[in-house]
Amino acid sequence: MLSSRRHWALAFTAILCAATTRAAPAQQPAQGFAVERLYLSAPGAGWFVMDALDMHGGLGGNLSMTLGYASNPLHLSDGTQRLAVVAHQAVMDIGAAVTYDRWRLYINLAAPLTIRGATGTFGDYSFTGPNVSLASHPDALSDARVGVDVRIFGGPKSRFRLGAGAQLFIPNGNRADYDTDDTYRGMGRVLFAGDEGLFSYAGQLGVHIRALDDSPTPGSPLGSELLFGVAAGAKLPVSRSLAVVLGPEIFGVTAFRSFFTSSGTSLEGLLTGRLEGTGDTGAQLRIKLGVGTGINRQFGAPDWRVVLAFEVFTYNQKT
Amino acid sequence: MLAGLLRFGFTVQILFTSALASGQGAPPAAHEDEAFDFMNLLSHHRLHNLDDERWNLYGQFTYISSWKMPFQAPYTNANGSINSLVPDRERSFSGTFTVFFGLKLWQGGEAYFVPEVISERGLSQIRGIGGSIQNFELQKTGSETPQLYRSRLFLRQTFGLGGAPVVKTSNPMQLGTVVDSRRLVLTLGNFTVLDIFDRNNVTWDPRQTFFNMSFMTYSSWDFAADARGYSWGGAVELYWDDWALRFGRMAPPEHPNVLPLDLRIWKYYSDALEIEHNHVLFGLPGAVRILGYRNHEVTGRFDDAIAAYRADPSKNALACTSYNYGSGNFTAPDLCWVRKPNQKLGIGINVEQFVAQNIGVFFRGMYSDGNTEVDAFNPADRSLNFGAVAKGTLWQRPFDVAGVGMSMSWISKIHADYLAMGGVDGFVGDGHLRQGAEGVFELFYSFNLFKAIWLAGDYQFLWNPGFNLDRGPVNIIGAKIHAEF
Repeated sequence: MLSSRRHWALAFTAILCAATTRAAPAQQPAQGFAVERLYLSAPGAGWFVMDALDMHGGLGGNLSMTLGYASNPLHLSDGTQRLAVVAHQAVMDIGAAVTYDRWRLYINLAAPLTIRGATGTFGDYSFTGPNVSLASHPDALSDARVGVDVRIFGGPKSRFRLGAGAQLFIPNGNRADYDTDDTYRGMGRVLFAGDEGLFSYAGQLGVHIRALDDSPTPGSPLGSELLFGVAAGAKLPVSRSLAVVLGPEIFGVTAFRSFFTSSGTSLEGLLTGRLEGTGDTGAQLRIKLGVGTGINRQFGAPDWRVVLAFEVFTYNQKT
Repeated sequence: MLAGLLRFGFTVQILFTSALASGQGAPPAAHEDEAFDFMNLLSHHRLHNLDDERWNLYGQFTYISSWKMPFQAPYTNANGSINSLVPDRERSFSGTFTVFFGLKLWQGGEAYFVPEVISERGLSQIRGIGGSIQNFELQKTGSETPQLYRSRLFLRQTFGLGGAPVVKTSNPMQLGTVVDSRRLVLTLGNFTVLDIFDRNNVTWDPRQTFFNMSFMTYSSWDFAADARGYSWGGAVELYWDDWALRFGRMAPPEHPNVLPLDLRIWKYYSDALEIEHNHVLFGLPGAVRILGYRNHEVTGRFDDAIAAYRADPSKNALACTSYNYGSGNFTAPDLCWVRKPNQKLGIGINVEQFVAQNIGVFFRGMYSDGNTEVDAFNPADRSLNFGAVAKGTLWQRPFDVAGVGMSMSWISKIHADYLAMGGVDGFVGDGHLRQGAEGVFELFYSFNLFKAIWLAGDYQFLWNPGFNLDRGPVNIIGAKIHAEF
């Protein structure tokens, strides 16, 4: 009788345990994606992200090299857990553009110099931090970008200029290195800009068509996004042919399926200064420096960022 | 008289080398006004000054297909080895698309950026052939899925030291400008050592001439490079009229034949020293170059691997616990057990001579010590190649190119002993070996269309693949389409 009771008690306990104890969840591996959110403007476009829309003249060209460093561009935190999946990201972007009249056609190729981060778990997901360096990836290029911009309304120096741009990202690289989605991506943008005396401004509103939706992986892309941003500054002439432009750029993206929520929106500010040639024709140089921080820290918006760019651009008289 | 001869020789050289885009380490060459390319187009519309360029942009596309006929082999991948050329019929291909950007930074300062896309499939996964791989593009690791990478990104600074003005014509990786015949040139960054060293105006650009890799440079020069043939480093060149002296140091791969590099260039490196003399013989130009190299890299010595295996047979190829090529032969020694900092030395001579207008002959020969494994290029320890290349001026097709050549490569005695015991070195090692010289005879004709596209046919007769008398000969037919813009 006692034995039978013990039997029932054990069975009851086993059922209770089975009902109340959750099996330890298996950690799902996160796959990686293109973490960079600094979608550089076209070579020769003036600002770092916005576009001055000042294309003019006959056949011209631009070559650019941009060096950027971002600290903690993918840092996961929920108050109790923290994981810097991508802690350091340095990228060199080389671009070339051809301009004619109000049109610009361009290509950018980005070479990761270092992408490093921590490996660990966050929630139900395991993350493998990237370990990209010049030594381990001596010839790596991430997604290539080709694009076209056009000024639809206004002259190259008018108060208000309106334009449009389209970009295609051609996948290249390795998702585990956090430098590509490994899928084609596209952007369509409405651009505006203007100059009034010493004041200069630019802005954009667009759509980033992104196939990758890795939800519910923390900090991952949620599909297509809305792009937005504005820039404004003072254009101060330093000589007949040179000017300094100082001013901030604020830009961000928000996923359509998580529209303007904190977890689906990244926002970043960049204080920029640039020294540039102001001639209408001939070869000119532009040197740009930007320092900024993430305002809303969805992926890609870093703790801080520094960007340095060199551009050579030529406008020719129309024949 | 001498000035006249020099002018004639220079003209011949210009005619011969015109309109050929640089793929691998091409020397500066004359820009062909008749060629169709982007820069000529701008120049003809007065939108670009080809003589004093601030920038230039060139491109090329090359697709090579090779068909290997079946051949005789008494054994293939014996005893679990993995590096034999498969005796069945096979097809290989490579496709490359390259863009060459050049930008003048300041007086004498230039920057070059060369992105490239490659798609490829080697014969037997590029295994089983030593110094004579049938398609030079296959030195670049790739896959059938096209992959974009950065092949070159470097700075070049030229310091004029006087002498006569020398016109540098606009070309891929060369801005149109005028330099001094006496000058110092510094190059720093990401490039292939073949951009600087072992130039040859006859074989010149392999995308225009021979298909086989053995004609690209010395087969036995184990120059430092990643698995695609490029590296980071620097070079200094001193030009003094007809003479040139070059020294360069490049970073080796982290492990033999892999993509990651060991950038501790002060610790592990490959040094090259070359002296060049340009001459005119019977009114026709030529050049002689002597090149010595010294590698200080983490590699394995063949005698060490054999000794380690004989002392302890558990140190065999199958049991490797460190970097290895994946051989399954447990009766063979392996270099994985004995890798440590070692030296490799070699010296070679490169001679070119034009023998008539638009017809040139060439010879290259190199002797390397043959004590250590291949680290970056191919496993040959001694090599020579020679042949002739002609442009079609004689038969009124000046853009056509034809060539015939022979190349041979050997391995050292200790290297052969190691392979005969079943060891693998890079991508050779049949599990057994009867030592012989590997060689190839090649014949090609490249037919030009529209001054910008070339269609080429090629035949290669390859004997003793993998330095093994037991295998081959192999017949390989090739076809190529090449475009420059």
